Formats: sequence, C-alpha cells, structure tokens
Amino acid sequence: MTDALRFEWVRIRTLRSTYWLIGLGLLITAGVAFIIAFATRNDDPSPGNVASVLTGGAEFATFIPIFMAIIGVFATGHEYRHGTIQPTLTAIPQRSRLLMAKILMVSFTAIVVVAVSLLINFVIGMIFWSEVPSFEAPLNEVIPGYFVLVVLYTILGLALAQLFRGVPSALVVLLIVPLLVEGLIGGLSMVPALDWLQPVLKFLPFSAGARLLATQPYDPQGGPEFDYFDRWASGGVFAVFIAIILAAAWVLFKKRDA
Amino acid sequence: MITTKALHKRYGDKVAVDDLTFNVRPGVVTGFLGPNGAGKSTTMRLMLDLDHGSGETLFDGRRFDSIRHPMREIGAVLEAKSFHPTRTARNHLRMLAAGSAIPMSRADEVLEFVGLSDVKNKKPKGFSLGMAQRLGLAQALLGDPSTLILDEPANGLDPHGIHWLRDVLKSLAAQGRTIFVSSHLLSEMSLMADELVVIGRGKMIYNGDVDGFVREFTQSTVLIRTPALDKFAETLRGMGGEVTPVDDGAMVSGLDAAVIGEQAHRDGVILHELATQTASLEAAFISATGASEEYVAHTITDEERAMLSEQPGAGSTTTGGAA
Repeated sequence: MTDALRFEWVRIRTLRSTYWLIGLGLLITAGVAFIIAFATRNDDPSPGNVASVLTGGAEFATFIPIFMAIIGVFATGHEYRHGTIQPTLTAIPQRSRLLMAKILMVSFTAIVVVAVSLLINFVIGMIFWSEVPSFEAPLNEVIPGYFVLVVLYTILGLALAQLFRGVPSALVVLLIVPLLVEGLIGGLSMVPALDWLQPVLKFLPFSAGARLLATQPYDPQGGPEFDYFDRWASGGVFAVFIAIILAAAWVLFKKRDA
Repeated sequence: MITTKALHKRYGDKVAVDDLTFNVRPGVVTGFLGPNGAGKSTTMRLMLDLDHGSGETLFDGRRFDSIRHPMREIGAVLEAKSFHPTRTARNHLRMLAAGSAIPMSRADEVLEFVGLSDVKNKKPKGFSLGMAQRLGLAQALLGDPSTLILDEPANGLDPHGIHWLRDVLKSLAAQGRTIFVSSHLLSEMSLMADELVVIGRGKMIYNGDVDGFVREFTQSTVLIRTPALDKFAETLRGMGGEVTPVDDGAMVSGLDAAVIGEQAHRDGVILHELATQTASLEAAFISATGASEEYVAHTITDEERAMLSEQPGAGSTTTGGAA
C-alpha cells in the first residue's frame, strides 16, 4: 500500500493541472469571500454570512468541490486517456490497492485544499469583521460538512472517470447532472399532475449533498415544497449515490481488461 | 525464464490467443513474430495480467501478481506512447520508481542510457515515435529487471536506432537476462533474435531457433544452368525434383545439389552453373504464416488487372468487384 501511495503522491505532484485547479479554486473562492465580506462589512456577521465567506459561497457555487472533483477525474481518467494504465499496472498490479491509494491521495489533497481555503477566507473575513465570529451552531456543523462535501465530490469524480475509463464523459456527468437533470426533476415536480415527484426530490444526490452546507432549514422560495432529511442524512444520500458508482467502477476495474 | 502454459483469450466468439505454451530462456533474445493481428500484443498482455484470459505465465516460477515489486523483476513496454503528455520524461520515470521502491536517481541513469538526457525535463508530447520508444525502453530498464517484455520496440526507430537497440538487447541478454521482443517485421527479428516464437491467428506455428525455422519452412532450391536444359529437366522430374525454368536456367527443388551434379556427370550433361540458393528468414516467414494471415490483401487476378488498366470512359461495361 505504501508503494501505491508513493506512486500516487508523485503522480499528483507532477501534474500541472493539479496546481492550476487548486490555485484557481483558492483564488475564486477567496474572491467570492472578499465580495461577500466587503458587501456585509457594516452588518453584524450572521452565521449565514460567515459560512458564505468561509466557504467562498460554496452553497450556491460549488467551485472547490467541482475543481477537486476534476482532480479526482484526472486521477483515474488520465490513466486511460494517455494509456498510462499499462505502466501503472505493471508497477502496481494489485488493482484494488491502486484504486484505494488513488482515493486516499485525492481525499487527502481535498482535505488540505479545504483547510487552506477556509484559512485564507477567514483571514479575508477578519479584514472586515470587527471581532472573531462565533463558531457555534450552525457553523460547527457547516465547516465539517464542507470538508465532507468536497471529499465526496472528489471521490465521485474519481469513480465516474474509472467507470467510464476516460475524462470527457465523467466531466459531462459531473457538470450536467446537478445543473440540468436535478433542475429538470425539480421543475417537473412543480407541474400539478406531476407532484408525485416531490417525495423523490430529497433523494436527488447533488441537491441533498448541498445540504451539508446549510445554515438554515430548506426554504422553497416559490420552488417545490418538500423537506430534506437533516444535514448528515442528506449528506448520506449523496454518499450512498457515490458509493454505488464507486462500487460499480471498482468491480468493473477488477473484472475488465486494462 | 518465462514459462507460459495454455494461454487462451477470446473476444466474443473470436479466439485471439489459442492455447499458447512456450518457454523464453534467459541469455538469449527471443523474438515473438507474427503477422499483424496474430495476437502478439494480447499474448503479452495476458502474460502481464493486464488482460484476463485462461492459462498461466510464470516468471522464474512465480505468477506476476505475486511479485512484490514487479518492475524490479520484469520490465515491460506494450505501447510506445504511454505517458502523460505534459509530465516530463524524468517525472514519468520517477513516478514509476516511487511505486516500486526504486531510488529516484535511477530515472536519470536510464535516461542517460537511452540517450534522452537532453530532453529529460521536456514535456514528452513533442517526442517523436523514436524518442517515445527510447523512453519506453528506459521505463522497462528502470528497475534493472532480469526479464524484459517489449512489444514492437523497434517500431519508429531509424536504422541507426534499430542497430543500437539490437546491440542493447544482445548485451542485456549476454548478462543472462530473459528478453522477449515482438515484431511483425522479419528484418528486425533476423537482426535481433536468437530464438523465435512464431504465431499466426493466435496459434503456435514455430518455437525454436532461427535456423531451424528457416529449415523447417523453406525448401532449399538449386539453380542450374545447362545447354541441355529440356532433356535434363525431364531426368530430374523423373527423380522426384520440381523444376521451374527461369531466365536461362532452372530452379530445382526437392533434390540436393550433390545429387543433381552426380546425375549430370552420369548423363554426360554439361553444367554451367550448379548453386544452392540459401533460403531466407523472409521466405520461411511467408511460407509459415501465409495461411494464417488475419487481414490478407488478396492477390490481383488477371481479370482485375485488365479492368484496372482499362481507360476510363472507354465505354466498357463495369463488372461487379471480385470479393
């Protein structure tokens, strides 16, 4: 296992896109944090505002989750896109060990990136906040939720690219499903004749996953009316969705020709 | 020493590798020869556990997946360009070294050895096929393995590069390593290989040394020149020889030069020339694999030749193409 982890460590370090994606993610979320902190500089920082500043607006624009998911896509997708799966497997023929090492390494990277991003955004917030905000509920759950969400997205990217054995289809699923498919189902459930769809909505994986960052109960704001599970159960819905994809990818990776 | 036992692989109902059993001995270069699509790459992928099929391959008695650091025992390159286009040659090797507990400095050593030191910090997306092959060889040698498995390593090398590769493989073999190299080109194999494994359509055609292959798959022929060709040809045919007239003589197969010479002496036939034509590896290969070629371009018939040479628009009726 240590060999596979070392291999993955060098792999991820020697890829330029790793730096681009992390750098861009940190920069954009810092920018968003700055805008929110600047715009609310005269108010007492509400938990919602503090969460938005710290996560760089991740509850409405999932920059770091998506960028880290792309790092996950590259972890497995590049092996097929560039044919490196052959040398990789002749160095580490134990496929489960290799896949496990990839998951651990991208998850570790995701955790570090989230920590750094939170730190940067906290510093930006402190420029405008008069005092250190209170980290009581819901922030004491939003911050760990942010770590969990980004790690889940990263593993999702890796699992999708392993399942499709390539980069493009994984990216399409990653970007299209939350944007179009879940939006479509939500929209259809608003049609009176289709309101039977509403109980399904809390199982839409990406929307459920976003609840990990929620600072207040779900408010329909004119959208479909239903209740999500609580924060961690909603995160669980997202996690189960990813686990199913990962399990399929894993079984096929073991079974198929490389 | 590589030992394969009944390697078998099918895609749907098409058998790609059909019960191949052979040994690859250390100390010599073993060529793996076959026409395009014969199943050479699939066989190599089966040997390295990249493809799933049936049968077994043992490297010095051990299965590939039971070896702790396979790169340190078996160096393999199956595709010329299996590297990330923007990861430098040096980092590509360092990555593989890290996964096999090989010191990082080894990457520079092998790059120096294959002559890529100057470009080791360059992105390999600009590499020519020849450079990619050299990087592949560097990758195979990274763990200083006792066994090398190379799929078409000479593909894309210039003549100078092919000679260099031959010298490298010969000297590695001389150090007692086991070298298994595939090619669909005979000219390469006749330069490099001492032993041959020849397959066609996934089936074993020949396994043994190069000279034996030539002996087995070619009949040596004898060129004769004589003023009394017609009469002497009759005599030779009567002795069981096959006589094919050429320009100003005839090629005789099925009879030795000595037998022909003695007969000429007995008959009082004057011979101007009596020469054994040595059969080439090329001829042996064509005779061995001719029937097993996967994708055969059929020979042009006289009819088709006539059709092709007809002037366009000459008012001829078009006939259906021969299948």
